[in-house]
Amino acid sequence: MTAITHPVRREADAPARHHTWQHIVRVTRLQFVDPWVLIWTPAVIIGAAWLVSIVIALIITRVAGLDPEQMRQGMSYSWAVLSPFWYFAAVGVQAVGTTLQFALGIGSTRRDYWLGTTLAFAVFSAAVAVVFAGLRAVEVVTGGWGTSAVVFDALWYGDLPWWLAAYTTFALSLAVLVIGAALTTCYLRWRVIGVVTVGLAVVAALLIALAAITWLQAWPALIGWFAGIGVTGVFGIVLGIALLAGIGGYLVIRRATPR
Amino acid sequence: MSTSTMTAPVIRTHRLTKRYGSVTALDHLDVTVPGQRIVGLLGRNGAGKTTLMQLLTGQIFPDEGEVEVFGERPAENPRVLSRVSFVAEAQKYPYSFHARHVLSVAPWFFADWDADLAASLVDTFGLPLRRPVAKLSRGELSMVGIIVGLASRAPLTFFDEPYLGLDAVARRLFYDILLADYAERPRTIVISTHLIDEISPLLDHVLLIDRGRILLDADADVARGSTTVVSGATSAVDRFVEGRTVLARHSTGPLARATVAESYDAVAAPATAAGLTAEPVTLQQLLIDRTSSRQGRTS
Repeated sequence: MTAITHPVRREADAPARHHTWQHIVRVTRLQFVDPWVLIWTPAVIIGAAWLVSIVIALIITRVAGLDPEQMRQGMSYSWAVLSPFWYFAAVGVQAVGTTLQFALGIGSTRRDYWLGTTLAFAVFSAAVAVVFAGLRAVEVVTGGWGTSAVVFDALWYGDLPWWLAAYTTFALSLAVLVIGAALTTCYLRWRVIGVVTVGLAVVAALLIALAAITWLQAWPALIGWFAGIGVTGVFGIVLGIALLAGIGGYLVIRRATPR
Repeated sequence: MSTSTMTAPVIRTHRLTKRYGSVTALDHLDVTVPGQRIVGLLGRNGAGKTTLMQLLTGQIFPDEGEVEVFGERPAENPRVLSRVSFVAEAQKYPYSFHARHVLSVAPWFFADWDADLAASLVDTFGLPLRRPVAKLSRGELSMVGIIVGLASRAPLTFFDEPYLGLDAVARRLFYDILLADYAERPRTIVISTHLIDEISPLLDHVLLIDRGRILLDADADVARGSTTVVSGATSAVDRFVEGRTVLARHSTGPLARATVAESYDAVAAPATAAGLTAEPVTLQQLLIDRTSSRQGRTS
């Protein structure tokens, strides 16, 4: 009997192929193989949002003849800078839906797949943060691309030093991607029922929280608390949500079956 | 070398069961496959072939029973999975991937990947590399799976209906290349198929499953020799099969044909003496007889 089982043992233990880190990073690389998903499409979206913003700025100042400084203030509420984040949610959903079965077929574990994929999201979000910070710097230096337009210096970004602004971009991008991916793991494990249940649970939790806050007349205190933690704190919460979604996705995907 | 006694089983299942709602896809399956051979996983559509391969590669989880590959549970086990290649018949590839993307990613996952073999297979089959996988024909999609499976050189390689959409020439190429590569680098190769006659000469071992149950788990030569068809005058056939296990029987007026569960060697002489013709049963015929035996007995 030992003569039979022995070679199996040795074979199973022997390979120095069990390099966990390498197993994770190859999944990360897998997510970047097709440059259209994480490079060109986001670039096209942000490019289009930039172009539209510039054209609007030109119309306002040159055609309508409004005061550039007044327009600058108005445009600082523009959501153009957020336009690619909607796409990122779709990327998060799609990444898991279309690459999990392939990765499992060529011998990845779900664990390595999830860690590698979320690492890809983190790398990507860091890149987006750097690019946005760079574009904002150019925008400020060139006086709104020579047109007083505001694209990247808008919303909360306008009030923050570049490194804090980059941190908020990173947090938002990562959260959107990981939440999208985690929802897909629910779909793969429990199909539509899983997604609907999670969706309803989140909505119910939010409603209960709103009711409780109203009931306790805690709105002023809550608003004061948010003001106290500031943008940094708010995006710390966003990062925390990303972390929770990441942990949840990890637990769910370990028993998920691709279809 | 008597590999069946020397090599530990690469695949072992014990009472392996998988249910989908009220359908039992695999029903207490016991299978033992020794290593270093080409295994035919045979059965009709819906027999449970793909379910078994998904369980063996940890893609789905069993409801009951045990599954072991290389002596360990495969699910979420990097020691097992890094040595297994499984390109499913309905394999999905990442959205917008081209064949060249697939072939650039796969080497990261297989320690023994042979890039030269992959390149020569692309040439041999004429696979278009710069076209989205979603736009490939069924045959070209099969080529991608065949190339990944062969070039992976994985110690345990699954081919799930690998020839779908391939013409006869491409199928012949696949069989020839598979045999040549196997001779050079012996490993365990499992091929699920229902084109049995074509693939039969390649097989060392046969797993025949039907409705989630194992009908036959045997050396291919044993399987081929395990049943015999006798044919001749109906009355002579009826006399001959009396007291023997009959798997199938067909008659057209004065002539009859019966499949008996005995080896050709045991049946040939008495059959000839009874004025009947005896022939060893092909694996294809075996599948048909074994999986339609109820109709066979009542006809």
